[in-house]
Amino acid sequence: MDKSRTSVTSTPISSVSTRRIRRRSFRQSTRSHFGVASRLGLTPGQTTHRFNTSRKAPKPQNITEKVSPEHLALLVKTEWHLCYVTPLYRFRHTQLKSYARQLSAFIAAEKQQGLGVEVGGLQDTFKVSMSVLQGLAETNDDPETVLIQVQSRPAFARQDEPLKTVWSGWLSCINGNPEYLHSLPKDFTCLPLFGSRGLEGLSSLVKSWLRSTFDCFFGPLDINQTTLRWLAALWTNCHMESNIQHLKMQWTLPAAPPLHVAYTVNSGDALALWRSVRKSRGADEEACIEIEEVTSFMEGLTSHFYRHFGVDLSAGDLNQVSTALGSAKVKGRMKISSSRYLISTLSLLTECAFLKIPI
Amino acid sequence: MAALLTLSLSDSSVTNNQSLSSRSSNRSPRIEENERRKREADPFVLALKYFSEVKVGTPVVGNDELENNLVQVEKVAFTMGLSPEAISVMLEFAMSLRMGSSPCARVLKCLIPASVVPQDAVVRAVVWLSVGAIPITTQVLFIKWVLTVFDMIDAKDKLRAIYGIIFSFVTEENLCPFICHLLYLLTRKESVRVFRVRKLLELQSKLGRQPFLMHLLSLYKVFCPELLTISIPSRMRSGFKNHISPWKSALMALQKTNSVKVAPGITLAFAVKDKTGSRKRKLHQELPELSAVTNKEPETEQTRRDLVPIVQISSFTQLLENIHRIELPAQMASLLGSSLALHYLDCVQDESALLRLNFWLGCALQEEFLFCSDGGANQEEGLQFLSRLLFAQQFLQEGFPSSTVFLYKFLNVWNGSLLCPQILGLLSDISVIPSSQIRTLLLEPLMQLFFTSSLFFKCGLIECLNTMLVKWLTWHSVYTLDDDPDISLDGHTSVNITLSGFRDSVMELVQFVGQLASVGLQLEGCHSLLLSFILDFYETVCDTFLKFGLHLIIMPPPGVFYPAFFATDPVSVDRLAYIMCRYKANLMSAKIQEKVTEKAFHISRQTFRQFNQYLIFMVNCLWNSSMYSPETELLLSEELLAKSNVPQYWTYFDFIHHPAFMSYAVDFHQMCWPDRKNMDLNSIKQSKPWSWYLQYLVTQGFDGLKDFIKDTIKGVVTTGSGDESATLRQQLDSA
Repeated sequence: MDKSRTSVTSTPISSVSTRRIRRRSFRQSTRSHFGVASRLGLTPGQTTHRFNTSRKAPKPQNITEKVSPEHLALLVKTEWHLCYVTPLYRFRHTQLKSYARQLSAFIAAEKQQGLGVEVGGLQDTFKVSMSVLQGLAETNDDPETVLIQVQSRPAFARQDEPLKTVWSGWLSCINGNPEYLHSLPKDFTCLPLFGSRGLEGLSSLVKSWLRSTFDCFFGPLDINQTTLRWLAALWTNCHMESNIQHLKMQWTLPAAPPLHVAYTVNSGDALALWRSVRKSRGADEEACIEIEEVTSFMEGLTSHFYRHFGVDLSAGDLNQVSTALGSAKVKGRMKISSSRYLISTLSLLTECAFLKIPI
Repeated sequence: MAALLTLSLSDSSVTNNQSLSSRSSNRSPRIEENERRKREADPFVLALKYFSEVKVGTPVVGNDELENNLVQVEKVAFTMGLSPEAISVMLEFAMSLRMGSSPCARVLKCLIPASVVPQDAVVRAVVWLSVGAIPITTQVLFIKWVLTVFDMIDAKDKLRAIYGIIFSFVTEENLCPFICHLLYLLTRKESVRVFRVRKLLELQSKLGRQPFLMHLLSLYKVFCPELLTISIPSRMRSGFKNHISPWKSALMALQKTNSVKVAPGITLAFAVKDKTGSRKRKLHQELPELSAVTNKEPETEQTRRDLVPIVQISSFTQLLENIHRIELPAQMASLLGSSLALHYLDCVQDESALLRLNFWLGCALQEEFLFCSDGGANQEEGLQFLSRLLFAQQFLQEGFPSSTVFLYKFLNVWNGSLLCPQILGLLSDISVIPSSQIRTLLLEPLMQLFFTSSLFFKCGLIECLNTMLVKWLTWHSVYTLDDDPDISLDGHTSVNITLSGFRDSVMELVQFVGQLASVGLQLEGCHSLLLSFILDFYETVCDTFLKFGLHLIIMPPPGVFYPAFFATDPVSVDRLAYIMCRYKANLMSAKIQEKVTEKAFHISRQTFRQFNQYLIFMVNCLWNSSMYSPETELLLSEELLAKSNVPQYWTYFDFIHHPAFMSYAVDFHQMCWPDRKNMDLNSIKQSKPWSWYLQYLVTQGFDGLKDFIKDTIKGVVTTGSGDESATLRQQLDSA
């Protein structure tokens, strides 16, 4: 801000040649974030991020060493509504307290339209806390995950009754593309994955506050077909270490009326099928899983179904995948039941979120 | 009069005294003396004198002198308005309650300013407000009066200095609405303090959601969003009421009679704008509102103190005054919503700010048009959004990178009809694409659309590509003026582009349009509308060297040239002739430059050969009545032509028999030989009628043909025939 100010004041307005210089610098600034794209080795026209066609098999992590159990308890076993977020402008992890004050004042002001609310004043209805979820990051480039909680006192509660958490959400970036993260100007913090749970009204209030405070954009993060297939394969792969109990899938077939198919596979059978399609088997633990393997796994599942019921599932859409490790729905709902695979699932979702960011 | 009043007021006011004496201009003492004498007899002056000198405690009831003087003042006030000095005197008289409170209201109601209201008088009156026991209704009337004449107060600095005193009246229940309004007009960033915020919030908790408190608080929020926050319900956004009623008729009448003197803005401008449009819309592309930044960098706090939030800027002059210290809004995208803000966006150099804008724009576009599930259900809003974006881009004369990226994706799914004008408009703003990518990103999707769409889309697309080419060329001619021609032209597009890279891109584009045009003309049966758009395009292409300084000359493909030449409308042939002339001019000067600078600006022999072929063909057809064309790749076998059963087919495309000009030949024939019964067009071919006929054609407005004849068939006009093709070839090939 300061820099641009001095340069503007030192520019004589009338001269044509200076206008051209100024113009050029404007161009340069628009270009430089194109540089983001070109540095990634991709053309500006195409999506700068590509979905990985190959990824490591998720390894169980003892995440309890890094993340406190209370925080973990907050994250797992609840269904999160997912969104993607463009990089946050001037977000500082050190300012969370003041953000929390502003947000609680904002919520109070929005809830009682027309009444002014002092920032930092005592709020008796809503209390917001924002904190860093220590340890929930995979690489050094990943900004720390931020947890937002809104607490409220029930309407007819006594004064001494404890506050109840009515809404919670987090902003996260696990295994973010390091080149992309580095190419952003330092004013930006990239936390592209946003999960929320709680009252819809509060969700939209929090989002609109984040939007106006950090000039970012929230869009729904659908978990598309490919991602769902990946999840099905990855979770099945986990059965080698921890019991997934079953692999449940829900399909919708374009018939009139639409035909919903719930397809549950025994975990052992699923693993057997998975092992049969794996090219590099067993011994090599670092082996990557390829998209072709995922495809043939799904083909195996659908052809099995076809043999028994004469219905070709590949004509329809996969809507939901669930195992004992978690569940994912196409409409951007995600539940992670086991903390051991939290990081790997979140990094898959982070990748999806990155894909949605336009530049 | 000024002198007189300073005399009379000397006891009552020191501040007034100073301000008034400063008012007296440098007139000569003699004239002033004369005027003084003249004025002294004036009953109005006497009345003012009375009011400025009247003693405290003078009775009101039955006081005829007061009545007479007051009538005098009122008479002047309602006919001409009161001078600043008179206002000072009368206001001082009324507010000081020298004769009690009864004449107060009457005096206030006649305080109609003729030009300006002196600030000091208002300040003194406010001080009286806090001292005297003025009845509450009069207090209200006074504040209303201040609000009404606010724009006419000559300066506001002192009023702002007593902001605290004015603020203290806020607790007065009856005054509060009007005081809030006055504070709203006076508030500056530095007047927003925590204790005032608390006071107002406390008041609000007592009085409830009063609009006046809400508006004042929302202004406080604009200046200090870190102190308080408020959300205004949409139905209450109408701003303050004005309180002009007691003075309205008088002011209106006065404005009519001497409109020059009275300040133009009697009604007050409200910073809180009336928001139209329903709040129900929850679309992605709804532009955020302009609002001040809440989230500030702590270290910049010092420099930020004198920044002006862009929300506060309401006119272009204000923008210019504050251009060096404008604070960007919380959400950059909100700048797109106001045309004033676009002016500022044009000056924004902050890279992060532009990136913020591009993030938002990219997301909004993709959510609305790429990922949308309801497919065009909100086409109306989509239209508005794109139109606004288009307006912004045209204003800034360039496309946003995010909208370009969006278009590359969108072209693959576009059906060619959804929001067609807007999309084509955005498309023409795309900046230069490197030639290695132009095919996959732009040309291939466009080709599919072109061949599967209607004639009108084809025309629209050609026009759009023409605009795009003009923009590219213009950009090139602006940015390479002083640079070495081989410098890399960075700073414009994504990938740094060299001059030769730029040339390649232009070549790709032009050749692509050539292909589209050739096939398009065939598909549409050489439709003259399409042909016209194609010729538009080649009017740009033929001048790349002379007009835009780009060392590149590309000829139209035969699929464009021949249909244009054989067109049945004379306009197309005329434009083709013009284009050929321009080509010739460009090629000639390129040749000359090549010789002079000896630089490697190489136009391939192929280009010259093609040009010569076209030219010779044109001249032979139009002039020599032969279809001879050397080494052309387009040969129709003699047998095929003979099958058409047209005798001497080669004579059918001269100026007389060309389908485009036949009607002119017939007209000319009738004018030349009105008595002839049998029409023989060939008789025009004799040397004299021929030159007359050519002149006749020129008078019909075919300027392109005129230049063409002058340029290429120079010296031949008089003889009627000749071997110009040989001379032409010499001209161009020898160099």
